[in-house]
Amino acid sequence: MIELVNVPSLLTIQDLGRYGHQKFGVPVSGAMDEISARLANYLVGNKDNFPLLEFALRGPTIRFHSSAVFAVAGDVEIKLNGIPISPWGSYWAKRGDILEVGTLKSGMYGYIAFAGGIKCEPILGSCSTYLRANFGRALKTGDILKLDYAILTGKEGKKLPEEFIPKYSNESEIRVVLGPQEDHFTEEGIKTFLGSTYEVTAESDRMGYQLEGPRIEHSEKGADIITDAIPLGAIQVPKSGKPIIMLADRQTSGGYAKIGVVAKVDIPKVAQTRPGGKLRFKAVSVEEAQEALRRRERTMEALRLFLLGELRAYKLKALGEEIIALIKVEKKG
Amino acid sequence: MFPQFKPAGDSALVIIFGDRIDEKINKKVHAVANAIEKAAPDWLIEVVPTYTSIYVYYDSLKLSYREALNAIKPLLSAEPKEEKPRIVEIPTVYGGEFGPDIEFVAKHNGLSVDDVIEIHSKPLYRVYMLGFLPGFAYLGGMDERIATPRLEKPRLKVPAGSVGIAGKQTGWYAIESPGGWRLIGRTPLKTFDPSKSPPSIVKAGDYVKFVPISEEEFRELYRQEWGEGQ
Repeated sequence: MIELVNVPSLLTIQDLGRYGHQKFGVPVSGAMDEISARLANYLVGNKDNFPLLEFALRGPTIRFHSSAVFAVAGDVEIKLNGIPISPWGSYWAKRGDILEVGTLKSGMYGYIAFAGGIKCEPILGSCSTYLRANFGRALKTGDILKLDYAILTGKEGKKLPEEFIPKYSNESEIRVVLGPQEDHFTEEGIKTFLGSTYEVTAESDRMGYQLEGPRIEHSEKGADIITDAIPLGAIQVPKSGKPIIMLADRQTSGGYAKIGVVAKVDIPKVAQTRPGGKLRFKAVSVEEAQEALRRRERTMEALRLFLLGELRAYKLKALGEEIIALIKVEKKG
Repeated sequence: MFPQFKPAGDSALVIIFGDRIDEKINKKVHAVANAIEKAAPDWLIEVVPTYTSIYVYYDSLKLSYREALNAIKPLLSAEPKEEKPRIVEIPTVYGGEFGPDIEFVAKHNGLSVDDVIEIHSKPLYRVYMLGFLPGFAYLGGMDERIATPRLEKPRLKVPAGSVGIAGKQTGWYAIESPGGWRLIGRTPLKTFDPSKSPPSIVKAGDYVKFVPISEEEFRELYRQEWGEGQ
């Protein structure tokens, strides 16, 4: 069991989302930054989808009521019983220990995973919090959470190699597959979208990020469409001409024309951009976006195996560049 | 020219069957969506039918956009079954505290409140799709004589079950939420319940009929649906 001793900002339980019910209007939700959340889970020996804590900007203070192994994902200072420790590593906490998670130095969302995951009653197959329908709730000071049983031995002391720690900048290039309603925009409008820098505004939350920047011109078909579905990362452009990127808690359907959809591989970059941060968009083909995703997943799988002790990391110099190689451990006997 | 196929990002594709809200097009949408769901290939994440299109969410680590398209194409021949549609009755108390905007709707259209109730409760509305918020049904078939623009300033809190009008559309809020629809009544039914499977009492392709009830009937049904003390 863990107790939330201080909760300074939005803190929710998330997993990788609620699928299969969008046709009933149920949003997917789930971790805003899937990669940080999955890495946090890998660090404590969990599967990808185990429920964990997501905090916005400022992390909580936690008291452990029983032994646990935990890991924090995020660019943040953390202390265990007042002693600084590192994020992107797993630690053993015993009964009475206090974990203080500070304010993110970069990025927007951080994660705290516990070996075994947070115990929760799934709603429609998922533990992801969706506040608008009261699926779960915002956690508050004094809440006590149960952890699911896990063997803790051997789970602590894992560390993500420095080279693989996600870096979030406040100025990113985001790959986009154009469409499905690119015909609702003029050629000039698409040029504006791909050639300009857009700023994330304060009107941004888990549902979507509203952007400020040059107005995107609609064609004679206009900004409105016959309501259709909204995939993750869809970029809607309402009449104002200012794009909105739809994220984890997006509604399942909507009536604004979508100029493009962010490549899944770049969703974490978008989600981790703070208000005031800048985004530029680059059109890629669906094949390129899928290839980038496959490449990322090969790396994620290698990291998962590395953290399980099945691969070893070696630093190599190749073609004058230092690279890190994850190589299979040969089992003897 | 239809159907058309497009990627909707790298993990979804859309099949478009038409460019207008039309019962025939929508029936085809649901027939094909059902066929894809029934085939249930291992790469399928979920299918979301809309007014005129189907979004197929797929696992792009398992197959490419082209491969997904090729797998779906044989299913496009699915035709709607000629069967009696399911009619879901939505008991509704009109006016009073439950429908605070009904007088505005009447006045706006030069009608009496009773006219509004009669006109609203007469048609069989088709559920074209569900979306937006959990359990929200997009209905077709409202009589334009009761069309009324949305509130200029949305309410911060609209109770679950509230029945309203927005422009030429009608519908009800399945869960409590902020909203700008003109409220004309309220159903005591719990139309969305995440502890049930399926979570919604209506599904796309159903027909809905609003049945006027009294306040007493509302309170009795409400108790049965939501329990005491609500």
